[in-house]
Amino acid sequence: MKPPASASWKAPLKFRMPTAENLVPIRLDIEVDGQRYKDSFTWNPYDPDSEVVMFAKRTVKDLKLAPGFIPQIVQSIQSQLADFRSYEGQDMYAGDKIVPIKLDLRVNHTVIRDQFLWDLNNFESDPEEFSRTLCKDLGIEDPEVGPAIAFAIREQLYEIAIQNVTSARENRINKKGRRGAEHFPLSKAGGAALDLMKLFNFRSSVVRKRKEWDYYKPILDLLSNEDVDALEAKEERSGR
Amino acid sequence: MDSSIRHDPNPESVRPDEPELDLYTIPSYSSWFAWNDIHETERQALKEFFEGSSISRTPKIYKEYRDFIINKYREDPTRRLTFTEIRKSLIGDVTLLHKVFLFLETWGLINFVAPPRPREGPDNDDRVRVEYGAPNGVRVVATPNSLRPLSAPVVKGKSGDNGVAENGVKLPPLASYSDVFGDLKRLRCGNCGDNCNSEYYEHSKDNFIVCVKCFKSRNFGENKSVDDFKLKDCGGNSAIYGAVWTEEETLLLLDSVLKHGDDWDLVAQNVKTKSKLDCITKLIELPFGESLIDSAKGRGNSSGPSMNINSAKPVLVPSSEHRENIINEDQGYDGTNENEQNGDSENQEPPLKKKCTTSTSDADSSLMKQVALISTMVGPQITAAAAEAAVAVLSDEMSCPREIFDGDQIDVTNGLLSPTLIYQPERAHNDEELEMKARSSPSVAESQETSQKKNDVPLPLRIRAAVATGLGAAAAHAKLLAEQEEREIEHLVATIIETQLKKLQSKIKHCEDAELLMEKEYAAIEELKEYILGERINILQRTFSVGISKLRELSSVQSKTGNLS
Repeated sequence: MKPPASASWKAPLKFRMPTAENLVPIRLDIEVDGQRYKDSFTWNPYDPDSEVVMFAKRTVKDLKLAPGFIPQIVQSIQSQLADFRSYEGQDMYAGDKIVPIKLDLRVNHTVIRDQFLWDLNNFESDPEEFSRTLCKDLGIEDPEVGPAIAFAIREQLYEIAIQNVTSARENRINKKGRRGAEHFPLSKAGGAALDLMKLFNFRSSVVRKRKEWDYYKPILDLLSNEDVDALEAKEERSGR
Repeated sequence: MDSSIRHDPNPESVRPDEPELDLYTIPSYSSWFAWNDIHETERQALKEFFEGSSISRTPKIYKEYRDFIINKYREDPTRRLTFTEIRKSLIGDVTLLHKVFLFLETWGLINFVAPPRPREGPDNDDRVRVEYGAPNGVRVVATPNSLRPLSAPVVKGKSGDNGVAENGVKLPPLASYSDVFGDLKRLRCGNCGDNCNSEYYEHSKDNFIVCVKCFKSRNFGENKSVDDFKLKDCGGNSAIYGAVWTEEETLLLLDSVLKHGDDWDLVAQNVKTKSKLDCITKLIELPFGESLIDSAKGRGNSSGPSMNINSAKPVLVPSSEHRENIINEDQGYDGTNENEQNGDSENQEPPLKKKCTTSTSDADSSLMKQVALISTMVGPQITAAAAEAAVAVLSDEMSCPREIFDGDQIDVTNGLLSPTLIYQPERAHNDEELEMKARSSPSVAESQETSQKKNDVPLPLRIRAAVATGLGAAAAHAKLLAEQEEREIEHLVATIIETQLKKLQSKIKHCEDAELLMEKEYAAIEELKEYILGERINILQRTFSVGISKLRELSSVQSKTGNLS
């Protein structure tokens, strides 16, 4: 049923997020009576479902949304959690699978493009920690950027994990309507694992060639207000 | 938390002579680090690389990561290396890379001297960063002297610290503890702020300190009187070893010694800037010439002349002073009087000193010093022999009766033996007067006697004899050195031959191995040949059985097989 991801995988693992914390990335994009609510966050799948309702009520109250949002939010979260849980218990071959993660997202005025390698078998990985370090190193001050980066990483990892479990359902899981206004990953999740034998053989060095450095380094842009407005207007049009 | 990185270097942990790490500062707790090895600490902290769990995590890859990151940091140790900066250049899981990066940062192998990260918001403080604990020490590696701040805090000079008592002798450029911290120990003048190198005046009521210069020009404030000030030396050492003397002071000292003899009160008065004790000390260890300063011996002497029993210098010390006197005395006779390098006996000192009033030129004295030095470097017997030979040749050449010297000769030999005999016991007394006598070198003794008899022997002759003695001694010393060098060369040649032999042997072994391989291969080929032959015969037989029509072909094949075998 599952194609072997890599020749050197070891004992099969049960499906989970290939990170230290098994958190599910949740994206919300709900429109009720002309009001649109978009959000993204991570959710612990082991929390009781009553938490979802609590969360929805709280959010609606905090954001002063129409009460009609509550069932929508609950429903959206629960369906996404159900998706996640449907994979649980299935085998996942993550051994020695290193995938490139590509970032290309805009958060408010910050545009960041980046590429790096992520080991699906490293369950010490922590996207939140990584994005925190990245923001600190780049001197990004906008507090929303870090969580957005972490979320984008999680989302890609999630997709790859699902691909790992079953390629047949891949297309269905790849929801198209998941585009958020605030964060929108333009890149497709890089599903193809890298050829480890080529990367880590004894002859070649793990130091990249100098000309490749630019591909793997973050590129940061700060947009002006006009640019942001133009981009948002464009998004609005394409979203309809 | 970050500020502790900039911890003051703990002087105790300073190891100045570790050239392999020069320029880079790492904390002392990271001294396990070595480029060519992976330490247990690394194995413990980054286990995944050493479990063989994955092709992407091997010790080799770890070492490449580590070396690259450290090298990257050392390209410019003053800036803070960030993880984002290195991960673009390294292939691998970013989580793993981050772990390596944090490990290196924790141990101070990177970002140790870099400016601390600007303090972040409180939300980031919950991250556990063990690396920011106070380091137990900083390892400074071969810090150049110039990096030390010159405006060092005022620290009371410690006795036993040689940095104070440098005697104006330049230390070799190797950074030593005293070199680095020497100026920290100096007192500073309360008036002009200069370092009080040698001595200073301390106010008797408060601890106000004035350097000698300011004291002389009465620059210490109106409400203090001259009498309230007490002259002090920096530390106990300077009292014994003397302090830093300027050239003028030295000249002044020599001048006044010539004038006043051993009336040290008068001498000190004349020198003004130095105390009586200083003057005496200085005189004892006055110029031994550049050669001594360059040599390691000279350095040893500068730190403690009165403690070195075996060094050549104490022998020289008194003579240098007396030498001056004699030179002056001799100036009337001969321009090339550098040979009169030796001191007089004790009883002759005062009258001679009173005679001489002018000082000699530098070239003369330095040549003399060198001759004297050379003659003291070899043993007394050699000096004696050299002197004897010199006298013999001289008497031949000058066709003057050897008898002139004969009286000296006896004295010379006597003088040679006796000073060396009394030399050791008397050294222990450390009495100045005794030292004067006891330190007399063989050559000194010789000319002592010569000068005693100077009415009997014509002076130019005496001079030439002394020069010849010096040269002879120098030659003897040179011979010793040459022999030593020769031995060294022999040793080296032996080493080279040995190495060559080893090389040859390993080559032979290699050839043998190759031969063995060839033989094996040959055997294999032979076997193959047999097999092919068998096959061929087999085929031929089959063809033969098929029909007579192939007879022609068969015959040609047979001829081929014949060729093969």
